[in-house]
Amino acid sequence: MKKHIITATACIILLASCGGDIGSGSGANRIDVDLTRLSSTMVYSEVYNMVSTPEDYIGKVIRMDGNLNIYPSEETNKIYYACIIADATACCQQGIEFEWEGEHTPSDYPEENTLITVVGTFDSYNEDDMTYYHLRDAKMSY
Amino acid sequence: MSEIFGTLFVYLAYPFVRYALVVGVLIALCSSLLGVTLVLKRFSFIGDGLSHVAFGAMAIAAVLNVSNEMLLVLPITVICAVLLLRTGQNAKIKGDAAIAMISVGALAIGYLLMNLFSTSTNLSGDVCSTLFGSTSILTLTKAEVWLCAVLSVLVVAMFVFFYNKIFSVTFDESFARATGMNAGAYNLIIAVIIAVIIVLAMNLVGSLLISALIIFPALSAMRVFKSFRAVTICSATLSVVCALLGMLISVLAGTPVGSTIVAADMAAFGIFYLIGLGGTK
Repeated sequence: MKKHIITATACIILLASCGGDIGSGSGANRIDVDLTRLSSTMVYSEVYNMVSTPEDYIGKVIRMDGNLNIYPSEETNKIYYACIIADATACCQQGIEFEWEGEHTPSDYPEENTLITVVGTFDSYNEDDMTYYHLRDAKMSY
Repeated sequence: MSEIFGTLFVYLAYPFVRYALVVGVLIALCSSLLGVTLVLKRFSFIGDGLSHVAFGAMAIAAVLNVSNEMLLVLPITVICAVLLLRTGQNAKIKGDAAIAMISVGALAIGYLLMNLFSTSTNLSGDVCSTLFGSTSILTLTKAEVWLCAVLSVLVVAMFVFFYNKIFSVTFDESFARATGMNAGAYNLIIAVIIAVIIVLAMNLVGSLLISALIIFPALSAMRVFKSFRAVTICSATLSVVCALLGMLISVLAGTPVGSTIVAADMAAFGIFYLIGLGGTK
């Protein structure tokens, strides 16, 4: 039995080092990370990874759907928009801020919590000596 | 069916899914090995008590802003496991009462500390994630995966090397003592292994569901097999299969990981119960 247990454990650990990341697409309409095709558990985990290791996703084109959240900030006097998704237990939420391409007024946006689909390039920007991440030049549909 | 497999292969290309499968299988293997011992020693509920201790320790780590929670959670859980197992025989507060007391006490203190001192903006999310695992297993870093792998290998190695001693202590501790065996030392080893498994398993199913991971495979195997070795092998196999099945269903169907694994364990118990009934007729 000892031999079997040790062999099984070794195989399992080897499995962890196999494989690689999903390759990027190409062309003008390329989508590198399509969150709309993933299950809710997968979406939450992938967005968690995007938030925790953003450097791995810089420059990638992301498509995601979720609920629109609106954050007016008195400090910067700006309104921030984010696409929010919840995990399977519905107790945790992850979201990504996006910048709708073109000129838009707040009235152009749908109501908060509307289900939206956003496609944009994951990028960083600096504000008040802090680095933030968002989807720039995003196309939004709802 | 081919569509499901296609989706599965797409998901398996994500590193975090592979990490989750590897860590989940290792944790399931470790927990089932010790599960047999715990069930036979009538310590089925110790996993629940210790997981609540780990929850309390995590709250302290969060309040103290400890970057690597494991450094604090693991020692505290090990100390409580040792105290619970060592004082079971002679203490004024006996086994089950001591487990219940430590369990609810740690849970309450943990939640209290998180409410009073936590700097998190999503307190309910943090608590829910710790209690039910949420998607913790799918958000592991490479370092956490390696830590889990190393600890799992240590647990399996200790179980394999001390198999005969654990067997003796499990079935008849008094007899083991009478033959000159240092039963206290082996109980200590069991306590340390249990604590390590609990801390690891919190990532997989959360602190409220850990007991299921420990007791269901062992109880299922006991319905069909009667020898310690056969029950241990069956329990380990069943636990790994259920963990894999639970995680795959979870990522495919978008269900919570922990509760899906426990549901798979429950279904397996039902099947083994029926097989056991058939075998006795």
